[in-house]
Amino acid sequence: MKQVYINSTGAYLPGPAIGNDEMEDILGLVEGKKSRLKNKILKSNGIQQRHYAMDRHQNTTISNSAMAAKAGEQCLQDSVLAKQKIDMLSCATSQGDLVLPGFGSMVQAELGLSAVELHTSHGICSSSMMALKAAFANIKSEENSNALVVASELASRLFKHTRYEQVQGKAIDFNAEFLRWMLSDGAGALLLEDKPNTRQQSLRIDWIKSVSHADVYPVCMSVGYPQQNDDVQDNRTWQDYATYAEAEQAGALLLRQDVRLLDNIVAVGVQGFVQLIQKNYVQPDAINHVLCHFSSKYFKSKIMELLNMAGIAIPESKWYTNLYERGNTGCASIFIMLDEFLKTNHLKAGEKILCMVPESGRFNCAYMQLTVVDPMTEKESV
Amino acid sequence: MEQLVLTPTGKQCLQSLLQVWLDFDLTLSKVPIVQRLEQERLSLEDYQRLLVDLRQQVIEGARWITRGASSFEREFVDVRSNIISHAKEEHKDYLLLEKDFVATGGDLAVIQSGSKNIGTEALHSFLMYRASLPNPVDLVGARWIIEGLGNKMATKWSKAIDRQFSFEHSVSTFMSFHGKNDEKHMAELYELIDKVCQSEKDVQAITQSAKVVARLYCLQLEEVDNH
Repeated sequence: MKQVYINSTGAYLPGPAIGNDEMEDILGLVEGKKSRLKNKILKSNGIQQRHYAMDRHQNTTISNSAMAAKAGEQCLQDSVLAKQKIDMLSCATSQGDLVLPGFGSMVQAELGLSAVELHTSHGICSSSMMALKAAFANIKSEENSNALVVASELASRLFKHTRYEQVQGKAIDFNAEFLRWMLSDGAGALLLEDKPNTRQQSLRIDWIKSVSHADVYPVCMSVGYPQQNDDVQDNRTWQDYATYAEAEQAGALLLRQDVRLLDNIVAVGVQGFVQLIQKNYVQPDAINHVLCHFSSKYFKSKIMELLNMAGIAIPESKWYTNLYERGNTGCASIFIMLDEFLKTNHLKAGEKILCMVPESGRFNCAYMQLTVVDPMTEKESV
Repeated sequence: MEQLVLTPTGKQCLQSLLQVWLDFDLTLSKVPIVQRLEQERLSLEDYQRLLVDLRQQVIEGARWITRGASSFEREFVDVRSNIISHAKEEHKDYLLLEKDFVATGGDLAVIQSGSKNIGTEALHSFLMYRASLPNPVDLVGARWIIEGLGNKMATKWSKAIDRQFSFEHSVSTFMSFHGKNDEKHMAELYELIDKVCQSEKDVQAITQSAKVVARLYCLQLEEVDNH
């Protein structure tokens, strides 16, 4: 089987960086009032800045597929591979601009890629890793010799003040407001090839593994369920209402996080990691860098505590994140993180990078190990 | 945070135990009564049955611990002391379960006259058998699971229970009590791992017993619904 290399990366963050004090200028004040939860949630997640594809009047400034295309273009600009030579496009998002067709079709059109093999992965934070795995497996099995993988999110559209104001009856619950202060917009892209670069370093993908526990826990992060009343459980989803207006009034179009279930992500993430160690995929001592898409500072300390206990902790100095400056961009985060990491660090051949994406949607955790390789000589490449 | 287990074999053992625990934790969340408890839709009858069944296991718990202590020979004399003091601390825990049962409106005679469910029977029998063998080092694995459960009960379950019922006072004192000495117990357990886990064979035996206890504990909880 072929080896697979990440030969180029790209990212796109829309508009200027938005500080914590300006968030409500963009998203708007719900019922004209400042949020009482905002500071508490921001304090816990540690995020200082983020980007929005939305202006101060809640008008979209760039579509999700256009952001994806910009990240893809940037990734290709840094590569020697011509756009026309792209074999496969593999895309991920939690919510495209259109409900149908698949996000990949829209991104392909924006990028102007001809006759590619297409894949769209739908989910939350780990969907980018699933899109990456599809491309990785495709090249490994020699179906294609390269693939462009793009992940993009435009979550802010769900957080406009007007969305919350549509909900009738009870006040907005904590679970519906929680993610308003967590998520923001952006896109990231990776170019995979079956040969390493000839002019700059590449990252060899050693393996990608993911493990889902949807059978164990209820839904933790979702769009589609209405706001629940204490007495009667409402099992309808957004499409079960007579009109979309009714679904919106019931709160079924808001993005929710069941915060009580959220703690489980720590044990689930560590469980997968320990399993990979036991199966000899990972040797903690051999890891030089860890890029983990944790959604907030709070979870990072929990993860470290558990790993420490088992004597398999990777020292904090090896952890890299740009969450606090670039925001939590859902599935795009891990690509945006990898892009900035590579562009701001000098790496040595042989260094190993461990990427982790524990997703709380319904508890899917993805892991990947990369090894830095030096450019291949021109002779080798023939 | 300091490194808690120092010897290489001890670390290997702890890593293996952590995996057993995390796998068990996932399986446990799929047991129907645990699902109802964690998702806060436990009926009062459910909780009372759970207390009755737990009491039948807990009241026997001190037996395997003390039996295990007496099975350690002279070269493990310090281990023996450690286990005896632990048994002394916990040998009356079942009284808290009885108190909680009465606090939920249950009749003391009912919980006191309950019998072991088949999971409890299997769990207790396994532990008594192992505790009767000479130098039952593998019981460290059993204790790992039981301590882990104590921590889970204290930090998660007791709060979930008190939230879903509207009694004036807590009806989960047994579960919350275990949080109080948790740190001390875990420190003792780490010390124990360093002392008794001296070879690959020990790691395997400890891991195996942890897995058996985890499986039988799940069976015990599954059986709560089978009355």
